[in-house]
Amino acid sequence: MKIKNIIITFVSAIAILFSTSVVSLAKVVGDKIILGAAISLTGKYSSNGVHTQNGYNMAVDRINDMGGIKVGGKTYKFDIIYYDDESNPKRAAQLAERLISQDGVEFMLGPYSSGLTKAIAPVTEKYGVPMVEANGASRSLFTKGYKYLFAVLAPANLYLDVAIETAVELNGGKGVRIAQAFEQDAFSQDVRLGILDAAERTGSKIIIDDKLPKELNDMAATLAKVKAVKPDVLVVSGHTKGALTAIRQIAEMKVDVPMLAMTHCDAAKLSKQHGKNSQYALCASQWHKTLTYKDDFFKDGMTYAADFEKLFGYDPPYQSAESSAALLVFKDAFERANSFDQKKVRDALADTNMQTFYGNIKFAEGGQNVDKPMVLFQVMCDDSGKCENKVVAPLKWASAELIHPIPKWSER
Amino acid sequence: MSKNIILYGAILIFGIAAPFIFPAFKVQLSILCILIILAITWNVQGGEMGYNTFGNILFYGLGMYLCASVQVGMFFPLGEWTEGGGEKTFVHTPAQFFQGFAVGLAVAAVVPAIIAGLIGYSILGLRGHYFAICTLGLGVAAGEISGGIEIIGAGQGFTTPPFPNVDRLEARGEFFYFCSFIVLVFTFLAVKAIYSTRFKLVLNAIRDNEDKAEAMGIQTMKYKIIGWMISAFFCGLAGGIMGGLVGYIDSTDVAFDGREMGVFMVLMAILGGKGTLWGPVIGATLFHIFKEGFWTFFLGWQYVALGVLIVVIVIYFPEGIMGWLREKYPERFGEVVDEADRKAQVTLK
Repeated sequence: MKIKNIIITFVSAIAILFSTSVVSLAKVVGDKIILGAAISLTGKYSSNGVHTQNGYNMAVDRINDMGGIKVGGKTYKFDIIYYDDESNPKRAAQLAERLISQDGVEFMLGPYSSGLTKAIAPVTEKYGVPMVEANGASRSLFTKGYKYLFAVLAPANLYLDVAIETAVELNGGKGVRIAQAFEQDAFSQDVRLGILDAAERTGSKIIIDDKLPKELNDMAATLAKVKAVKPDVLVVSGHTKGALTAIRQIAEMKVDVPMLAMTHCDAAKLSKQHGKNSQYALCASQWHKTLTYKDDFFKDGMTYAADFEKLFGYDPPYQSAESSAALLVFKDAFERANSFDQKKVRDALADTNMQTFYGNIKFAEGGQNVDKPMVLFQVMCDDSGKCENKVVAPLKWASAELIHPIPKWSER
Repeated sequence: MSKNIILYGAILIFGIAAPFIFPAFKVQLSILCILIILAITWNVQGGEMGYNTFGNILFYGLGMYLCASVQVGMFFPLGEWTEGGGEKTFVHTPAQFFQGFAVGLAVAAVVPAIIAGLIGYSILGLRGHYFAICTLGLGVAAGEISGGIEIIGAGQGFTTPPFPNVDRLEARGEFFYFCSFIVLVFTFLAVKAIYSTRFKLVLNAIRDNEDKAEAMGIQTMKYKIIGWMISAFFCGLAGGIMGGLVGYIDSTDVAFDGREMGVFMVLMAILGGKGTLWGPVIGATLFHIFKEGFWTFFLGWQYVALGVLIVVIVIYFPEGIMGWLREKYPERFGEVVDEADRKAQVTLK
């Protein structure tokens, strides 16, 4: 019967452990506004998670250094509590709950990826915690009637439809033949929906429509088909791994296709990792450093990129830029609300209408940013093998002309 | 016996009071209940029957999808709910939500059990490593297949119906906690009852020597299948609740999460002690506390810490905590120890 005693001791030990580990932090401690964020520091989104975190951190430091946030005549500084969601929606939902109910966080920043944002949004919504997110682009996030979700980015279905439209235009207005392969995740599947819409609109035909696994290391089967049927456009989306895998295997298999449209080229540092092999890839981006938006904190895209590189040692992908912008939005909303009341901050967020170095920000009813178009850039290399991403569309910001069609491998 | 009743009573009261004593930990406590259910049910195969299955995650994931699908499908067209990642949004009234959830849970329990029965006949014919690898494949395959089925959201994932708007903010947490706690109590009592019958002896006989058991006239296949069906029943229930709790089902990361849940359930049972009733309960509890602790204090290194924990378990507690206790204090487990014999063994070494 002694074993029962052990069990009783054990249960009480747990009780003690639980009760002592309650950390009670309020949203605003002293002169600090504490924001919560679950970020993918490990798992399949870890590289993009780090881009996101770097963006957040840089903006926090910058805003704090430049005088902080003025609310009710007092100056406050930002601070962020991070947790690692391991790129797992289940974990992310738990962490959101934990940030709010245990750590007492009253304002949240978004995680990386649409799937994780989808898992967190119901939680923040339930508690009425305003969340400004910078990395959840799935259209379905904005049709759920969420009142406390604000996204500084354009929805995922808009990512690549410009590419299709451009292809059709170059084809003399006639529909094109599209081959596409998308990862099985919320974001990429949404990009796919965008392509389906664009195809229908332009009378294009989809001749290959493949799904790629989440552990994306091989898409040779799709590429073999592409080689056989010779489509006009090949569209691939699967976060960083998708972009890397696609370029690696297209080069290995010498797949010739007139247009290659992708997402996440800059996050994957394609031009650095694959050099000339990544040349001519057309990429959807929320932001590019050459765009001419301005604000008081980061000045403009070029300055942001230079400062970012100094701090972290690499060129900022748009994931970092949009994450930094999220903090600017929060600062602006706090000051306009002039209060830490969640409802008032939420209303102030809804009224946001500002320009940041990243772009104009204005939220629609559903919470998506409607004031910032997507851009397309193309990886272009010079003869020495140095590659750069150059904006090719929309024309307003284009710094180079689109190279189309992509030269055959035999001629490169 | 009275001591037993006091103990169970104390745990029951603790379980009922827990969400009110630790209101901030309701989600963790709910997940703890789910983890314990998974560990207990895994132990039926892995511990008592000697069949190390990685396939129980299949029933857990099936339960999750089934419960959510039924909950939506009873009132709204499921295809429209999940289409394009959920463009159209329907809102459940409270009555619809709870009715749907109740029916969903029933389906989530029964269907996996039936499927376990159907596939069990072929798969349980495999033994040892072959069985383990085959079941591992089941979970992986299910994840990939479900990721391609449009009506349950495919790669977009499936947002489960949001909890209806009631005035109390705490209601959702309490609802899911009590659901999981009740299912846990139910699972524990059911397994305890089963373990006190001949059924457990048959399972043990299969573990110790299946051929001999068969030679003695036991229809081993029948018992193996029934055992698996019981596990599937409770795994399905656990999955159904977990789906509602998380609020978003992803095919490989949440539902058929063999890499995490599928491995954790094995680990928890081994940590606590395979082949004991309390082992999985203790193992799951400790494991959950360690895990939450690592996540808080070793951010970024939590998996390294978890890895160290696994190594420690395997090296120092190969029989689990219950096994270790049993070796150390055999008399407390009702084993009679002959002191002279024990000493003789010690001197021999």
